Amino acid sequence: MVPRVLTDKPPFWPRFTSPVRSTAMTARLGRVLGIMFGICFVTGLASHYQYQPWNWLPEPASPVWLYRVTQGTHVVTGIACIPLLLVKLWSVYPNLFRWPAVRSAAQAIERLSVFVLVSSSLLQLFTGFFNILGWYPWPWHFVRVHHYLAYVVIGSILLHIAVKLPDIAYGLRTRVADGDVLTETPWSDNPDSHSNAGVDVLPPPPEAISRRDLLLVTGAGVGLVIVTTAGQTLTPLRPLGLLAARDPGKGTQGLPVNRTALQAGVVQTATAPDWTLEVQGDRPYRIDLAELESLVDHEASLPISCVEGWSAGAHWRGVRLLDLVLRAGGSSASRVRLVSLQTRGAFGSSAIEGPQVAHALLATHLNGQRLDIDHGYPLRLIAPNRAGVLNTKWLTKIVVS
Amino acid sequence: MRRWRRVLGGAGVLLLGYGGLQLVTGNSVADLLSLAVWLVAAVAIHDGLVSPTVLGAGALLHRLPPGPRRFAQAGLVVGAMLVVIAVPLIHREGTQPESKALLLRDYGANLAVLLSLVAVVSVVAYVVHVVRARGDSRRAVSDPSRG
Repeated sequence: MVPRVLTDKPPFWPRFTSPVRSTAMTARLGRVLGIMFGICFVTGLASHYQYQPWNWLPEPASPVWLYRVTQGTHVVTGIACIPLLLVKLWSVYPNLFRWPAVRSAAQAIERLSVFVLVSSSLLQLFTGFFNILGWYPWPWHFVRVHHYLAYVVIGSILLHIAVKLPDIAYGLRTRVADGDVLTETPWSDNPDSHSNAGVDVLPPPPEAISRRDLLLVTGAGVGLVIVTTAGQTLTPLRPLGLLAARDPGKGTQGLPVNRTALQAGVVQTATAPDWTLEVQGDRPYRIDLAELESLVDHEASLPISCVEGWSAGAHWRGVRLLDLVLRAGGSSASRVRLVSLQTRGAFGSSAIEGPQVAHALLATHLNGQRLDIDHGYPLRLIAPNRAGVLNTKWLTKIVVS
Repeated sequence: MRRWRRVLGGAGVLLLGYGGLQLVTGNSVADLLSLAVWLVAAVAIHDGLVSPTVLGAGALLHRLPPGPRRFAQAGLVVGAMLVVIAVPLIHREGTQPESKALLLRDYGANLAVLLSLVAVVSVVAYVVHVVRARGDSRRAVSDPSRG
């Protein structure tokens, strides 16, 4: 028996009386949020795979829009999770004020796991959103932390589901309007709760907004956030993108740039008249600007699909990568490393292998014009189903192995 | 159910442990300390600042009669969602080179447009609700067969 002193809340302790909060509603919000976090996790891992594929399973070259869809979904879903998570946390806020705060070691661990879940979810969503805005007010490496924090988030969600499974089962089988009110008193302590009374004890009717209203309004709000932010991903939503970060139809030559020539430190080297492309392989050779122009004979319509979720189709002209690889003594089975002139920032080189080699273009022209320096003049890679930053710009060297 | 709970819980602990281990081994001590501060701050800001503000706003709304309050609550929920997304955009507006086509829009004005839209829809929904309720009560009076 717990002493009364511990079971009685102090007079200053917050008391939650709103009949709108309910396990039945939380379970419904959590179900949708859990699915959305799952989508983010899977598409996020798919994106990470672009950067570090296994040798025996290279990225496919078709469909060309695969990464466009998976990464667009990742970012749209992640942004939509932000308002939904806040409503979900509102619905369980009274749990923070349980009295006594901890009754047993097991409960202490459970509360700690909820802390990990809440903090990692909030941080993951907000830092992911800030990354889209080119905003890094933290010292750590964003990609590394975002990648591994995702495991912490998903792991603590699974643990949370395991712990709460009886509540989830109760919540989902109960009608939203009928379920127990969620207050700072756990249902197991509440003689009036549905589960303890043994009969249907209906909650007091809400004065104003009802539980069903709130679920509908939450859906409408999340829908509005999707419609106004997804314009950077879904072309038909572009005109409605009042809160969209990127305008894929704008930017240099009608296509956004992610790293400018200035940021990459290539303004001088990329425009040098004595630029050459060095091709290493069994039969090494060099191509200068004049020869490059004479080689241009291929065209392709391929999208740029950025890890930050925006994407845009574009028309490219240039030289087939495979032609240069064959001339160096390689084949479509070769692994090719492409090296940029860039001196600052990540992704100064990238590797391409498997089906993408035969479909890759070394572009000299974009949308009918010679490449702008911000788009990688004099020569850049563009390949199907390939994350934007892996389409290396300002090429200086190709290594065929 | 017990077996499901064990499987889910076990998988969760494994994934959580893997992610935690990778974070701890793959980052400098200074970065980890900063990450820990951010994790605690995220919860502190949410539980100590955002939630009390929402509860305070809810308490203020109690001055409205329940009829209009219901629609004010609905409008404020949607409006708050838009504000949360818009504030970082407004803060970052105009910080990027033009060639990136990033953050080009006037997000403050766009947020004002959206919030006005939400306000108008909430008011119209309330008015429609009131008019309908009056119509219903008049019909109930004139038609004795309806209780």
